[in-house]
Amino acid sequence: MTTVLKSTAVKRGGAPGRRHAVGWLYAAPTALFVLTLFIVPLVLVLQMSASDWPLLRGNQGWNFPDNFVEAFDHRLFWQAVGFTVLYAAIVTVLLLGLGLGLALLVQEATRWKSLLRTAILVPSALGLASAALLFYVLYSPQAGPFAWLMEATGTTFLGTPTGALFSTVFLMVWRFTGFYMLLMLVGLNGIPEEVYEAGRIDGASRWQNFRYITLPLLRPTIALCLVLSITGGLLAFEQFYILTAGGPDNSTMTVVQLIYGVAFRGQNDLGLAGALSVLALLALVAINAAQLRAFRRPKEEN
Amino acid sequence: MATARRNPLLTGVFLALTGVLGAVFLYPLVWTAITSFSPRPGTGQSEGWGIGNYTALAEFQAGLWTYLANSFIVSLITVALTLVVSILGGYAFARFRFRGRNVLFMATLAILMVPYATLLIPLYVILNSVGLQNSLLGVGLVLTMFQLPFSVFMMRISFESVPPELDEAALVDGCSTFSTLWRVLLPAVKPGIITVGLFAFLAAWNDFFAPLILLNDASRMTLPLAVANMRSQVMGVIDYGATSAGVVVLAVPCILLFLVLQRHYIRGFMSGAFKG
Amino acid sequence: MHSLHRRRPRIRAAVALATAAVVAATLAACAPGSGGTAPADADIPAEGIDDGSTLTLWTRAPLQAQAELLVDAYNASHENQVELTIVANDDYVAKVGAAAGSGQLPDLFAADIAYVPNFVSQGMYQDIAPLIDQLDYKDEINQAHIAAGTYEGDPYVVPFVMDLSMMLWNKELFAEAGLDPEVAPATLQEFADAAKAIQALGKPGVSGTAAGLNCGGCLMFTWMPMVWASGSEVMNAEGTESLLDNEASQEVFAIWKDLYDSGALAEGSADETGATWVAGFQEGKVGIMPYPATLLPSLEFDAGLAGIPGIDGGASTFVGGDGIGISKDSKLTGQAWNFLSWLLSEDTQVEVLAKGGNAVSRSDLADNEYAAADPRLVTVNEVAAEGQLPIAINSQQAFNSPGSPWLTLVRNAVLGDGTTIVEDNAEITAVLDQ
Repeated sequence: MTTVLKSTAVKRGGAPGRRHAVGWLYAAPTALFVLTLFIVPLVLVLQMSASDWPLLRGNQGWNFPDNFVEAFDHRLFWQAVGFTVLYAAIVTVLLLGLGLGLALLVQEATRWKSLLRTAILVPSALGLASAALLFYVLYSPQAGPFAWLMEATGTTFLGTPTGALFSTVFLMVWRFTGFYMLLMLVGLNGIPEEVYEAGRIDGASRWQNFRYITLPLLRPTIALCLVLSITGGLLAFEQFYILTAGGPDNSTMTVVQLIYGVAFRGQNDLGLAGALSVLALLALVAINAAQLRAFRRPKEEN
Repeated sequence: MATARRNPLLTGVFLALTGVLGAVFLYPLVWTAITSFSPRPGTGQSEGWGIGNYTALAEFQAGLWTYLANSFIVSLITVALTLVVSILGGYAFARFRFRGRNVLFMATLAILMVPYATLLIPLYVILNSVGLQNSLLGVGLVLTMFQLPFSVFMMRISFESVPPELDEAALVDGCSTFSTLWRVLLPAVKPGIITVGLFAFLAAWNDFFAPLILLNDASRMTLPLAVANMRSQVMGVIDYGATSAGVVVLAVPCILLFLVLQRHYIRGFMSGAFKG
Repeated sequence: MHSLHRRRPRIRAAVALATAAVVAATLAACAPGSGGTAPADADIPAEGIDDGSTLTLWTRAPLQAQAELLVDAYNASHENQVELTIVANDDYVAKVGAAAGSGQLPDLFAADIAYVPNFVSQGMYQDIAPLIDQLDYKDEINQAHIAAGTYEGDPYVVPFVMDLSMMLWNKELFAEAGLDPEVAPATLQEFADAAKAIQALGKPGVSGTAAGLNCGGCLMFTWMPMVWASGSEVMNAEGTESLLDNEASQEVFAIWKDLYDSGALAEGSADETGATWVAGFQEGKVGIMPYPATLLPSLEFDAGLAGIPGIDGGASTFVGGDGIGISKDSKLTGQAWNFLSWLLSEDTQVEVLAKGGNAVSRSDLADNEYAAADPRLVTVNEVAAEGQLPIAINSQQAFNSPGSPWLTLVRNAVLGDGTTIVEDNAEITAVLDQ
């Protein structure tokens, strides 16, 4: 269908150059924002990563590749990378699975289901920092409602590396499931009813419908969810910053926490922080480019 | 679910399970709301139940109304700019082929991939150089930029999911591309627009780091900054009363917006969802 | 194809131009200030200039109450007006750093005294030696704070608000456990015995003592005075070598390990990151613990107070709080000094700070009329003069930051088997000596 549109649209618009111009006109505001507020600052981050740049004194001149060498040599670097990848993987699987499952569950317009949908969505209204603080109290062995449980078992939610990881994962699932459910609902909404109608006539089962109609047609939505979730997971910061501060014993130190710490808490070295950021950016661009390539519809591949 | 409706036992199990699920999602919020009124030593409400934490918040520094007003201004700027930019951008990416299209789209997505904190220092420098330091507009511009990857992607897939025959017909009837967008396509992508607008609002309303770095005057600060300031005491101690009251005040407008906008969603979703 | 070739260079040129402009702007703004600045103009009178200027002042949120108290009193009595900005504690350095990098610091800014040596050495403040020299009570100003703000012999910072760690105990719980509520534990062992006695009461939710074992700042604040009171040091004078493997330190860690092993520490102490480390005591659920004196007014029960004891007695305290100075970017040195000299004056210290229940930052004013009403405040003011502050440029990284080597040392020593103190101490030295 898209192919039809594009060929006719190009034909109708007259000279291809005009279509380009009109396309650019609509894309111009995006381009302006991206250029002035993203590309230019990004160039500065690149400059930082290749310079001796203490936070409090500013640029002291080029020193490439010292910052990158220092980044790889940092005592917490590889540990942080490993933990961040593990965390992102767990959160992505849970959020996409739950988001899609719940979207299918609450899709119909019954009273009960719209109540349920509301309940699942409401946590998405909170800022991540607020949500993390809320759970900090909830998990607290002094102020929280589960103090009795922790006293009875002699452990605390945030006291062991595994406990801290899954307590944080639970916070993220609580906070973001509704958001991913909403994205999935918007995606499901985009699937024309006639397609299912056709499936029904062919006698397709519920599972066959899901496997051969819903999933393939949800590809763009799933791609968006994957990009958001993996990127968000790999850049995880606030949730750990507030809940665990990287503890216990640095077991929940993420890459961005490391960057924040290097920039603002301790070394105050923007050069090293910039180098770590550039490494994170390169990794994410590679991962997401691979994902988008894998998810691109065959039609568009020309 | 059709089976569940027919069998009363299954219906009961379904209701119970989903009821528990709903309760899990609501419990932390309800608990926080109750906690914000409950007594706790070392907070604004140290004895008996009451609104001590809220009066402390209301009287904090420049006063709650100033912070609320600033947060609303920043959120409105962000929502308006995000909607305009992402609708036009999404339309361009979905319906036009132009040189640099993929590069621009990837560059927009790449915004997601840079740690927020690292980008803010250069942004601070840039806003200073154009005289937008310490201004709500500057914060709104920065927050809009951070919203673009999600919003542009969202609007792009929303436009792409509209059957192309729709706007093609309008174009054939002699409408300009803009009036096609305005009259034909916008109504069709309403759920996408509401989603983008809502999440731009939520992001702007709750954002802490951009206003922290970019705003200096107490009279221009936003609500999350005030809550963060109230919550911290000496040696990293957190005032839980102020925190829970702050979480509630921050959350109430967002939750209300969710509930109000839900009616629009239901209509939007149901138009395309299966009926059996 | 044709248009492509013509357009590309133009876009590229525009991008390059925009980038160059911004980079140039940054570079111009980042004039290097390597360690210290030229001394302030000696023509400025001792009391500074009060000509109706507007001064900006930044401070961190935990000191909001004291900062507002001071600024309101100053604005009410002066032509100059101070505009106060409060910044969240955890992100204060990020805020100051962003401003410093582009020459946008306020006229005056306060900072956690633990950061001050670093800030001063990076040239963030103006040298105020000639101005301080004009004060006849110069030597009575809290010496720990002055020392932290001194770089290459010149002072840059004066005390803004004092926050001292003191041993506090819940008198009611003391009485229940058969301890004398009016007598402070004289030694660390007596402190540990008292904590165990209260734990032995077996009251639900009540514990003997508490500690923030995942909070580097809390541990510095509460445990280092135990080493000082024992007559020992935690660092060498230059702040480049950690001495936490010395005998006194090892004994302090052994006492805490014993307390932890015997279950006398509050639930959650092991992973407390600082957010609730005093909450148990505030709620009356902890018997005795080293505690910030600033929080004294918020206690709703009767608490005893004394300096923090060492192994064989003695008393010390960690002289925390904030120092304040005139920023490198301020053009209003005389006016800013007017605020600082007013801040240190007897009238302000007694009639504003002490009247509001705060510690004073001048030793000659320790026993003032307001402190006399609550003898605990006199104790705080007196111990302040004996207190210390570990001064090191890398102290933040070595001790305060999450995951610091100091945290590793303490956690291994208290939660682990306590055999790695020497190696862990070497790790701290490695960070201090960078």
